[in-house]
Amino acid sequence: MECWGRMLRAFLSGPGRRGATWGSAYSSWQPHRPVPGLLNATELVSHWTAIFEKEGIPEAQESSEYIVAHVLGAKTFQSLRPVLWTQPLTPWQLQCIQELSSCRLQRMPVQYILGEWDFQGLSLKMAPPVFIPRPETEELVEWVLEEVAPRPHAVGAQGGPLILEVGCGSGAISLSLLNQLPQSRVIAVDKGEASICLTRENAQRLRLQDRIWIVPLDVTSEGSWAHLLSWGPMDLVVSNPPYVFHQDMEQLAPEILSYEDPAALDGGEKGMDIITHILALAPRLLKDSGSIFLEVDPRHPELVGGWLQSRPDLSLHLVAVRKDFCGRPRFLHIRRSGPQRGCPVHAWPGPQPARVPG
Amino acid sequence: MRSRLLLSVARCLWTRRTIGPARRYVSCGTPQLEELFARGGPLRTYLERQAGSESQLQFRGAELVAVAKLLSEKEQELQETEHLLHDENEDLRKLAENEITSCQKEIAQLKHQIILLLVPSEETDESDLILEVTAGVGGQEAMLFTAEMFDMYQQYAAFKRWHFETLEYFPSEIGGLRHASASIGGSEAYKHMKFEGGVHRVQRVPKTEKQGRIHTSTMTVAILPQPTEINLVINPKDLRIDTKRASGAGGQHVNTTDSAVRIVHLPTGVVSECQQERSQLKNREMAMKKLRAKLYSMRLEEETSKRYSARKIQISKQLFAPFSMEILVTMSFSEKTNCSKLNLKGKESPGMFA
Repeated sequence: MECWGRMLRAFLSGPGRRGATWGSAYSSWQPHRPVPGLLNATELVSHWTAIFEKEGIPEAQESSEYIVAHVLGAKTFQSLRPVLWTQPLTPWQLQCIQELSSCRLQRMPVQYILGEWDFQGLSLKMAPPVFIPRPETEELVEWVLEEVAPRPHAVGAQGGPLILEVGCGSGAISLSLLNQLPQSRVIAVDKGEASICLTRENAQRLRLQDRIWIVPLDVTSEGSWAHLLSWGPMDLVVSNPPYVFHQDMEQLAPEILSYEDPAALDGGEKGMDIITHILALAPRLLKDSGSIFLEVDPRHPELVGGWLQSRPDLSLHLVAVRKDFCGRPRFLHIRRSGPQRGCPVHAWPGPQPARVPG
Repeated sequence: MRSRLLLSVARCLWTRRTIGPARRYVSCGTPQLEELFARGGPLRTYLERQAGSESQLQFRGAELVAVAKLLSEKEQELQETEHLLHDENEDLRKLAENEITSCQKEIAQLKHQIILLLVPSEETDESDLILEVTAGVGGQEAMLFTAEMFDMYQQYAAFKRWHFETLEYFPSEIGGLRHASASIGGSEAYKHMKFEGGVHRVQRVPKTEKQGRIHTSTMTVAILPQPTEINLVINPKDLRIDTKRASGAGGQHVNTTDSAVRIVHLPTGVVSECQQERSQLKNREMAMKKLRAKLYSMRLEEETSKRYSARKIQISKQLFAPFSMEILVTMSFSEKTNCSKLNLKGKESPGMFA
């Protein structure tokens, strides 16, 4: 996807050209359009919408709008400077749109085509196969902010909550929390190397790298949590873990199946595998009355409630279930109650880890 | 009592410009200003009471007290300097004269400031606002005019260092503008913009005109104050939020990029939409902002129509849908201007063109 970025940057800074250079570049270009002519943004959107619809690409109009807007330097078609809607496009721009649109014809998700997407007011780089943040997850962050912001936190000399994110993906949750909680610090873990790299890159783009530690870690592997202890007890654990029921995986759209990492989606038989690992791990890492915030499948609140009851040794209880904007129960707030167990006192406060290089 | 005071203030300020340099050492300004600030008079008493008052000061009361204090200090200074006018030393006398002149100027300015601070501002003056522009009569030319007006307001906002965020923009084919709305925020934004609302008219030779004839076109501007959280409380249960993600399991199961949001306020039927942003959360926030502004302006209208008589300027929005707006325009004019009927899409209402 790097080549798209470079190409786009190249032509966006180049001068506009018309007329003469059209000839040969054009005749082999669009098999779908018999009559060449000077095209503007609006016409191009209609053109590609028709092609996408014919090929059965979902969200035909939205996809072509995003692609054209992106090539013209805006985030959405609506927000383009109006004068650009009626201006003819340069051959460079047309070529780029052509190439991005052919990716779309391969069912590549728009976020991967553009190489970026917005989340909680931040623009994050997107790259396959790292999981693309969903709009619901923005609400998870909203909830965490509501719960955390009013309460003062003090961790030693630093201040601000210490947050662990399990399965950071592109870093969406971690970075938006860091952005809106200026005193907070985050430990972001993920078992995928691509995720680690992408989160690191996004942290640097947003200049938040000083307050985030990005650690390759598989929470399902035995004893993996042990070296997280050195960071000290945490105020919060937050996660959008893979929660799709295994039997539902094959029904997912081609956009998801062909491009996103299935490990970021598949939660096992009842979608609970990673969730239960996180819940088992959390009491060892959390402070007294520390909280866990999870995004889950709408069928999980009951399942999780039942599971927690079967594990009284964890001292966790389900405090609240919150619905997403479509009215589905999507988010869980679980709280730890009772003193720290099983951790020797001399482990805290541990040595502060060095900043993650790169 | 206070209204009489203000009436004389109004006459003082608006019939006469700023005072010139002092002609006599005794007075610092026009006779009216002097009268207003006479010792023992109602204004002085009021200011002294405000200064001494321990209780909660009214809006801008603290500023008023500060300026009043400054005024009495300056007057004190003036009095003391006046002694030096009769000094034997000529240089000292000259110095005193200059000192007195500048003192008097400052005193007059402070008095003007006090008067302005006394004028009660509307509840909404400090608000942010939503600007809505819509092309009116005149076809393509009206839409071009609308685009120019929107651009002008955008640049004005930049000049005033206000925050300007376009919420919607529906253009026409040739670069004009059918309808647009923007959120404007900043110091006293509403106060400055509130009188922009209404119908604006242009008479010129349009770009689209081939024969050089002059045409008249119109566009309307609506200014809706954006209420703070305190002024307007909306119960989330009264809202229906429509998004494209509604069907299916949502969440990780679905990857959509259509983030358009529409919010319907069920009790009133007011609708607001937004698709300016990639983030659905942002679109929702913007749609909520617009909804609040509409509901607030509806509520304000109800209140003002109770308070004032039917003769006033009023723009009311019925149902909001792009490209088809029902705009009700009632205008009342003083004796000086011509009363012309501008009815874009009719809805009968009593006392409309009284």
